[in-house]
Amino acid sequence: MKSQQALNILLGIYIFIFFTYLFGPLVIMSITAFNSAEFPSVTPWECFSFRWFNEGKIAYDGQHLAGLATDWRLHEGLITSLKIGLGVVLLSVPIGLSAALVLTQVHSRFRTAFYSVSIMPVLFPGVIIGISTVVLWDRIASMGGGGLATQLGRNGIFLTILAQTCFISTYCFLIFVARLQRFDQTQEEAALDLGASQTQVFFKILIPYMMPAIASSCVIAFLASFENYNTTVFSILSDQTLTTVIASKVRLGISPAISSLALVIILITLTVTIVYEVLRRREDEKNRAIGSDALYAQTLDSRLKKIDKSEFSIPKPIFGVLLVIIVCIFSFNKLVENEIYGSACIAAKEKEKKSNFAEQLKLLQKNADKASQTSVQNGETGQKKEFGDIFGDPDLFKNFGGFDTKKKEDP
Amino acid sequence: MNYFFNKNGPLISTYLIISIGFWLIFLIIIPQLYMFDLSFRPNIPTLLRGGPDDVYTLVHYKHFLFGSETSGERYNYVDVRVFLDTILTAILITLINLCFCYPIAFYIAKVASAKTARLLIVSLIIPFWINELLRSFALRILFAGEGFINNVLIKMGVIDTGINFIAMDVALYTGLNYAYILLMIFPLYNAIETLDKNQLEAAEDLGSSMIRTHLRIVIPHAKAGIASGCTMVFMLTAGALATPVVLSSPNTFWFTQLIYQWFNMNDNWPRGAAYSVVLLTVSVVFVLLMMKIFKVKIGEIVR
Amino acid sequence: MSADVELQKVSVSFGNFYAAKNVSVKIEKGEFFSFLGPSGCGKTTLLRAISGFAEPSDGKILIGGQDMAGIGPNKRPTSLIFQNLALFPLMSVADNIAFSLEVRGTGKVQRRNRADELLELVALSGQGNKKVHELSGGQKQRVAIARALAIEPAVLLLDEPLSALDLKLRQKMRTELREIQKRVGITFIYITHDQGEALTMSDRIAVMNEGELEQVGSGHNVYEAPHTPFVASFVGENNAFYGTVISTNGDMVRVSSQGKDFLAKAGDLKDGKKHTFQKRDKVIMFVRPESIFLKDQINQADNIFSAIFKTIEFEGNLKNIYLSIDGVQDVRCSISNAVETATLSTSESIELKFSSRDAVVLPVGPLAVD
Repeated sequence: MKSQQALNILLGIYIFIFFTYLFGPLVIMSITAFNSAEFPSVTPWECFSFRWFNEGKIAYDGQHLAGLATDWRLHEGLITSLKIGLGVVLLSVPIGLSAALVLTQVHSRFRTAFYSVSIMPVLFPGVIIGISTVVLWDRIASMGGGGLATQLGRNGIFLTILAQTCFISTYCFLIFVARLQRFDQTQEEAALDLGASQTQVFFKILIPYMMPAIASSCVIAFLASFENYNTTVFSILSDQTLTTVIASKVRLGISPAISSLALVIILITLTVTIVYEVLRRREDEKNRAIGSDALYAQTLDSRLKKIDKSEFSIPKPIFGVLLVIIVCIFSFNKLVENEIYGSACIAAKEKEKKSNFAEQLKLLQKNADKASQTSVQNGETGQKKEFGDIFGDPDLFKNFGGFDTKKKEDP
Repeated sequence: MNYFFNKNGPLISTYLIISIGFWLIFLIIIPQLYMFDLSFRPNIPTLLRGGPDDVYTLVHYKHFLFGSETSGERYNYVDVRVFLDTILTAILITLINLCFCYPIAFYIAKVASAKTARLLIVSLIIPFWINELLRSFALRILFAGEGFINNVLIKMGVIDTGINFIAMDVALYTGLNYAYILLMIFPLYNAIETLDKNQLEAAEDLGSSMIRTHLRIVIPHAKAGIASGCTMVFMLTAGALATPVVLSSPNTFWFTQLIYQWFNMNDNWPRGAAYSVVLLTVSVVFVLLMMKIFKVKIGEIVR
Repeated sequence: MSADVELQKVSVSFGNFYAAKNVSVKIEKGEFFSFLGPSGCGKTTLLRAISGFAEPSDGKILIGGQDMAGIGPNKRPTSLIFQNLALFPLMSVADNIAFSLEVRGTGKVQRRNRADELLELVALSGQGNKKVHELSGGQKQRVAIARALAIEPAVLLLDEPLSALDLKLRQKMRTELREIQKRVGITFIYITHDQGEALTMSDRIAVMNEGELEQVGSGHNVYEAPHTPFVASFVGENNAFYGTVISTNGDMVRVSSQGKDFLAKAGDLKDGKKHTFQKRDKVIMFVRPESIFLKDQINQADNIFSAIFKTIEFEGNLKNIYLSIDGVQDVRCSISNAVETATLSTSESIELKFSSRDAVVLPVGPLAVD
């Protein structure tokens, strides 16, 4: 089976390339978060630094490049996003649940129609949902005559919650439909037969059964809301969510602070996923153990007899974690040794850049002087003043110097 | 109706009716209908809505096709080109995604062991929990003029000066491809996963070549998954906004950006609505086409 | 408190299809009553109508003399044990049992006590904290019974609850069910397609076919004196001889079948009278395999005929002999394993006999399909 082997190797390479494609950009972006350069890059590498997670920096051209911790716009956007996410969860989960329940009850003749309408929002482009919500509510607001309707219709957060609920409800709906398909309806009948009212059946039988689906649709709804851009950008009006802040930042010029934000999100995602996986695996094992115990009790089949694993074994993932920690310490050590970490390194680089910049400025100044001389000769005086305003401001450098020296004294 | 109340009890019935009515009527149907209506209205200030000037007109659709009356062109080449570019590119990206994902989906569903499959699925999900904007941003870092790829290529001596990937739209297309891969893999995976492994073994046993096995057995079995994946990827690509915002070059437009402009920069909402209706029509036509070609029901497309 | 259940001309229809048609029967207080019939005969629908999950399209259901129309399943004095048991998988065994008390707002301690009491009744003491999926099939069965009995219903309805169990356990549970019924003393209405279950447990059996009641009577009555060809062929094994009436003499009928004359008694009617036949009426004569003997056995018989031996089948306690008359009429005869049959050889003609008292003549009608 030589060709089979070759095929498997090819497939392996393909999968490797695929996952490199998937993760490569994310890994590189994460690395750029630690490069002190203003432009997110791996090469050229300036200094290893956490500045993009903290205060950021003021660039030598005067622009303040905020770090993650000091960017108030991001913070406000984050809070708005959280509010919207909460609102969307509170609306879309009950809506999705009720739609899924009704789907099981509607006459089979209407079922297809009901299902089609329910899943339509997922097939609509996100921008269209945002737009249609905005235009409708603008009309409602203008008819509202300054009352509650007007206030709501002009409230970006409210509109965004509505617009996102429109399609996120469908996600929840699909999750619930999948779970309901496995529901044994005789359980409802059994509860009724035992004297429960319809409301009691709902809360004591159906809701406990749907609980896993409710939990996962809460998570999915929140995540979908949190990372939505296409719909939100229209419906948010004058407010800002995290995604619209990111979008405007990216459009204005790319900053490593965004890399650091992405890294934080990646780490949170990783942690949540790992925790979830571990819990799931543990649950699986427990169920399997219970299953085989019950089988054993019933059949007394010796083949199923449990072998007690009393000896202690170190869980394998610990080795992985240890390895990562060792690599980190080692590379950090290297960084410090080679002086490409810390304020000293940054200061040196800044100085270098500043002198480059100053030289360039001098050059410009010279050119400008020349130009102004010629223009003065030609009777145009405005030019010089302009140059003076932008480049000739003596405070500009003072500011930087102050910033940098203060940083030096800090530790 | 009576049966419905009896079955659910008064409290639950009320909850079901209110929440579904709110959703279907207020969130889905009325906004779309109103947008549709607005696209046939002139662009006048809100205060004049309902006034004598507020009459039905086709002016916005005419503008999309023929351009403004003052321009000398016969057709609105700019907008129509953006539109066609968007649709064709979206179709192309969908096809590329399909070819790209099929082997992976097949591997996870049928070749890999249960443990490996689980690991791969989890690692597939992780990148897609990260915001589309941030993922596009990651690609932007790679593709920028002084970005990672250019620097590496220059260091290796392959090129002398940086290639402007963004102006060439390479970055945009890669980004769109990258953004929705998961939505292709998962329907494919789900469909292939239900295929009985014995069928593959039987085909091999009967002397079928590998390609033939895929063409005759796996792909027909997975057609609902293929339809579903293609539809989702096409819809999202054609309606994408985040990725083009980050990755498109200054002189390339995605159709959604055009809509965005009419809305937010030019403040011509009816025209934006008309352009939206055009996009929506294409989406609906595409879904119907997929249902027709693959002979699947709408329920099989969205899962 | 036990109660009687009366069905008055009950029909249940779904669109044009009648699942149950014009069913009238009175089930007495404290009786173990079974509905027996093939799958699809409407017995489950009838049970659902009694428990309140299906609305009769016609007729009345009275429980303890009270009309049940418009009363929901949660307000009726009945408890239903589902075919799949429908235990609540997310609750413990004790919570399952005490569910009916919980929804009525009974306090925790009382619930616990009642659950313990019932667990003892079904011999599961001390298992209250287990989860449902930790129990075996038979234990689940008992939990379902305990749960249904928790609020002391007047009528317990059972929908083929033993069908999921294996043979041995099923036989054991039959005895147990019967004992529990005697102990609690309430009316049991039992649905089954398994005649063995119906015959062993029930006080009375109603045989159903295509939504209609064919016969109501004790197990003995249904087996010995079937009213219709369907009952005769569905309950137990039977040989059906198609023929025509030659003459009648009181309850006795002379029938010609396959060119032979047989003497048999006329079958019963619903009202206890006998069927009356005219000469040349088309009829079916039923003779049970265990009522047919080899000629040299000592049993009394007034019908003697011969048939060609085909094959013999060993079943443990008895043997089934398959024969045929003229290659048209199949005959099956079950004899004790003690009877010597080694001398029989294929295609040999054998003399058989049966008593006219063991043969029943009924008008032609549909038989049960195997």
